[in-house]
Order: sequence, then C-alpha cells, then structure tokens
Amino acid sequence: MAEAKIRSVSFPRYAEYNCAFKYIIEQALGCRYVMPPVLTKRTMELGTKYSPDFVCTPFKTMLGSMIEALEAGADTLFMTHGLCRLGYYGELLEQILRDLGYQFDFINLSDYDMSKKKEYIRVVRRFNPKVNYARFLLQFMEGLRMAEYVDDITAEYYRNCGFDATEGQYKRAYQDFLTAMYTARSRADVEAGYRAAKAALGAVPLDKPQQPLRVGIVGEFYTAMDAFSNLELEQKLADMRVEVHRWMNVTNQFLRYGSGQKNLRVKVRDLSRYDMGPTSTANIWYARECAERGFDGIVHIKSAGCTPEIDVMPVLQNISADYKVPVLYLTYDAQTSDVGLMTRLEAFYDMIEMRKKVL
Amino acid sequence: MLYYRCYALWKTFFQKLGMETVVSAPTDREIMERGTALAIDEACLSLKVYLGHVAALVGRCDYILAPRVSNFGRQRAMCTRFESTPDLVRNVFRDSRQKFLSYEVDAEQKKGEEDAFLEMGKELGCTAKEAKRAYKAAKKAELVQHKARVQKQEQLCRREGMKILIAAHSYVAEDPYMGKTVTDYLKKAGIIPLRADLVDRDAALKRSRELSSTCKWEISREILGGIALRRETVDGIILLSAFPCGPDAMVNELIARRVKDVPLLNLVLDSQSGTAGVETRLESFIDIIRFKEGKL
Repeated sequence: MAEAKIRSVSFPRYAEYNCAFKYIIEQALGCRYVMPPVLTKRTMELGTKYSPDFVCTPFKTMLGSMIEALEAGADTLFMTHGLCRLGYYGELLEQILRDLGYQFDFINLSDYDMSKKKEYIRVVRRFNPKVNYARFLLQFMEGLRMAEYVDDITAEYYRNCGFDATEGQYKRAYQDFLTAMYTARSRADVEAGYRAAKAALGAVPLDKPQQPLRVGIVGEFYTAMDAFSNLELEQKLADMRVEVHRWMNVTNQFLRYGSGQKNLRVKVRDLSRYDMGPTSTANIWYARECAERGFDGIVHIKSAGCTPEIDVMPVLQNISADYKVPVLYLTYDAQTSDVGLMTRLEAFYDMIEMRKKVL
Repeated sequence: MLYYRCYALWKTFFQKLGMETVVSAPTDREIMERGTALAIDEACLSLKVYLGHVAALVGRCDYILAPRVSNFGRQRAMCTRFESTPDLVRNVFRDSRQKFLSYEVDAEQKKGEEDAFLEMGKELGCTAKEAKRAYKAAKKAELVQHKARVQKQEQLCRREGMKILIAAHSYVAEDPYMGKTVTDYLKKAGIIPLRADLVDRDAALKRSRELSSTCKWEISREILGGIALRRETVDGIILLSAFPCGPDAMVNELIARRVKDVPLLNLVLDSQSGTAGVETRLESFIDIIRFKEGKL
C-alpha cells in the first residue's frame, strides 16, 4: 500500500474558532491545517460571484473562503452538517467548486448519519486512517476546551472593552490571547494562554459608570458571531461605551445543551411551544432574559434570507411590545456597507441613551 | 401551506370526528396583500399567502389548524418554516384571540404522524379509539387521492404532444395566484404540463439520490426524484419557485448544474400582479424547445 499522504485540511473562516479547528486537525487528527486567509471584500466578491442569488449570505462567505483556502494550498475541504439550509451547503459548495475546475477532496458530514457513533469513526478515518483513537479523543476534547475559552474571553472582552481607561491595553490583551490560541500546540499552551488572558484583562483599569448602557445580541448562528460578517457590530457598539452581551456561541449552543434546549423553552413556552428552527428557542429565551434583566436594547442579527431567524422576528416584536424594550433588526447581505450600519447604530444608540435618561 | 398535499387527510380526519371544516377561499389579490402586510418583508411569498389565508379565517371558526411538521426521518426534513408555523401564527395573531390547533410530526424525535393525530384528537375531546379510527380513514383517503393523481399523470405521460415538467412545491404549483397561471398558460398553448412531485413517493425518494446524494428536504427530494423519473419523457423542465424559497434557491441551482440534457427554465415568482412577464418568459422557453426540436 502506498504511503498515506498527509492531508492539508481547511475549513472556512468562522469567527475566532479557526484556532480550535486547527488544534483539532493538527493535534487530534495528525493532518496539516491550512488557515484560510482572513475574510476580506475579495472573499465576498468571489463567493457572491459563484453562488446562487438568494442563498443565505454565510454560504457566499464560505464559498469565498473555500476558494481562498484552495489557493492557499489546501487539498481537503471539510464541511459540517446542520439543521437548516446549512445541512445542504456541502453538496452545493462542492459542485460549484468542481464546476469551477478546482481539484480537492471533500469531507462532508451530511454524507454520514451523525446520530450513529460508528459513523464518527468513519469520518475520523477519512482524515487519517492511522489515527490513534485515544489520542484523538483527548486532543479533540482539548480543542473543544479551547473553543470554550475563546467564548469566555470574547464575552468578557465585549462586555468591558468600551470602558478601557488606558490607550487600548484591553484590546491588546484580547489580541494576545487570540495569538496564543492560534499558536497553541498543547494543553499547557491553551491553559497558560487562557490564564494569562484572564489576568491581563483583569489588570486593565476600567472607567465604567454605575449603570452603563447594556445591549443584548441575538440572532443567526454565523452572522451574529462572525465579526467580519456583521461588520464588527459588537466592537462598534462597544466603542460607543456600551456593554455588549451575547449568549449565542459554540459553548452555549452546542457544548452545554447536548440534549436539546428543552429547559430553556420552559420559560418561553407562552411565546413558542416548539422549536421554530435550530436557534429559535435560545434566541427567544435570551431576548426575554435581556428584557427582564432591564437591558436598554436588543439587536437581532441575521443574514439575508435566513428563514429560521425571519420566523423568530414576530416573537421578538411581541417581546419588544410586552417589555417596552427597543429591538434593532439588522439583515446582512453581501452589499451591506459600513456607513449604512454606522448610521443605524448611531440612531439606535441615541435612542436608547435618551430613554435611559428619561426613564 | 401543506393544504394541497394534505387536504384529504385533514378533511377526512375532522369529518370522521364529526366536526365541520372551513376552508379559506382560493388565493386572490386581497389575500396576498393582507398576508404581505402581516409578514416580515423578507419572508417568502408562500408564507405571505399563507398568512393572508389565516387572516381570512380568523374569527370564522373555533380552531385554525397550523401543524408543525419538522421531518419524517433522517434527510426527510421540511423547510424550517414548517417547524415554526404554529408558533409563528400564534405570535402574529396574538391579539385576535383566535384559537389554533396544531399537531407535531418530528420523526427524529420519535413523534410520528399517527401519534400526532391521536394527541390532537385528545385535545379536541375525542377518545383515543375514535381518533385512531379517524386517522386510519384519513390516511387511507390521502393515499387513495395521491394514487389517483399519480395515475392521472401517468396517463398524461402517454399522451402525444409536447410535455413540460413543472418542478415546484405543491403550494406554489397549485396556488391559483401563483403557479396555476403557469399551468393554465401551458395548457392554452397546447402543451401538456406534468408535475414533478406527483409521482410515487417511495420511488421518488430513492431516485432523488441520483441527482443529489445529501438533499435533506422531503419535498425537494420528491421533486428531484420526479425529475429523475420523467426527464426522458419530457421536452423541458420549469423550475418554478416562490421568491425567495430557501430550499429551492439551493436545490434548483444544483439541478441546473446537473441536469444538462433537457432544456430548463428557472422561473421565480414574486408578488407582481400582472402575468405578462411570466407569459413572455414561458413563450420564449417554448420557442426555444420547438427550435431545438426543429419544429419552428
């Protein structure tokens, strides 16, 4: 048998989780990881050019990112499955890339019945037939832990970065943390990076008023979390001296609720009896939570054409009416501009700030 | 939105339980406009029409049926819109005090259709036995009706003349204000319109794999299977969808990339009131087919 070649695997850019993908691909699966270039306007142009018109925007972003990953030397692309249209991304992405003439191997989770454990092993073997399972499991769990740390630090960062009393120390500490995660090669690296970041963020003096403006972010799983896709909405809000809270992240959506979000639904049953889509229950629950905790505003983020999130909007409108909390609905497509977003955010900020003074 | 697929099932079930059913009038301009006003702008045309129909029924009956149909098993899912329907209408029509009735089909969570109907029967105050009998009769009626429609398609297939396959969800293809204008035009032009989704469902699900190995939507798979079954019989295929249908946006793109031997027309309907635009496109599509076959 010929010597098995080591794969160069890539997965499209996705918020700051690519460090965890990299860790899992390299440490757990023993492959090489090709980091796709940072998302830029070019990524979007490539993706939009070759995508069907009214597919959701993350599809276009991912297609662009995959093309750039192939240009960067990847020979294997990986695609996940999912509960909404995401579950069909893989096959169409592969077809479009093949029609364009790219040559690569495609590992698509939608090809496998992921409710069966046996299938996981098949997927793992496709990455690397000689994989050591004990090592794989251990390193895989560490990769997930890295994702949890990223979520934890990111949440802390956006809550406080608007109140940094120094000249950008807070932001530097966050970026140092990300660098540590992107370069981590062992559990010790991950743990040390996390502890250092906690300490560094805690050491920066903050200038936060007693009752700062607080805004909760809800929305679609990709666009709400990916700073490039939402045009750095969280940073923009934070820079206006707002505490930004977002529940939706990999930790909360996947790692903490393996058996479904039934317990979250208890509190929103009057608004939504069933799951209305993959992230509806969590979003409705969190929006009500924000409203009850007296947040000054809620921002709902989705990509154009995201069916599940469109269906959540009437529920959010009712929450908004019941609790008298302003909700800003933002839809992102490939053409959304920085300036347009800024105008809307400024207006939203002025409004919630005025309300806070009056109320 | 499932009315055209399920009306035999629903109607028989409630009739057997001794209940009266009220059906909203066929879609017209007023229904479409009312629905559009109620819906979020970006929602698909089908949902807008659906909300228009619900609005027309509000206050006219004790319950309005709004089921949640999530999936019939692995890779047999419905668009997430069918998951959200009951909660969506309850939220949109919150102030009307209208009561809604729903049942939940989610085979991946072990909630089959039969159990769902029994539960609904219980909610309406019927005994389990009555509900079970009603469901059995209803299911039978549905199958008989579907079989008859498939047979009619088979007959049409054997007829002489130009045939065009319409690949669309039933709620688009059969809606008088949407897809029916297309069928009517084809008939007027002397063409036999066939429907991709009116085929034997099991066979279609199997054959759908030829065109797409991971397609996860039940109805899209029936359409794909229908195309696989009929692509040799027909002279052209119209991919008919409502703007901006989520599954169709992707599946139709894939069909266009994989079905290369038959002329394809990708027709997306929006809420325009005139039919002239659609007619022009159909006319030129027919001309292309005739030209290709040397009949023009």
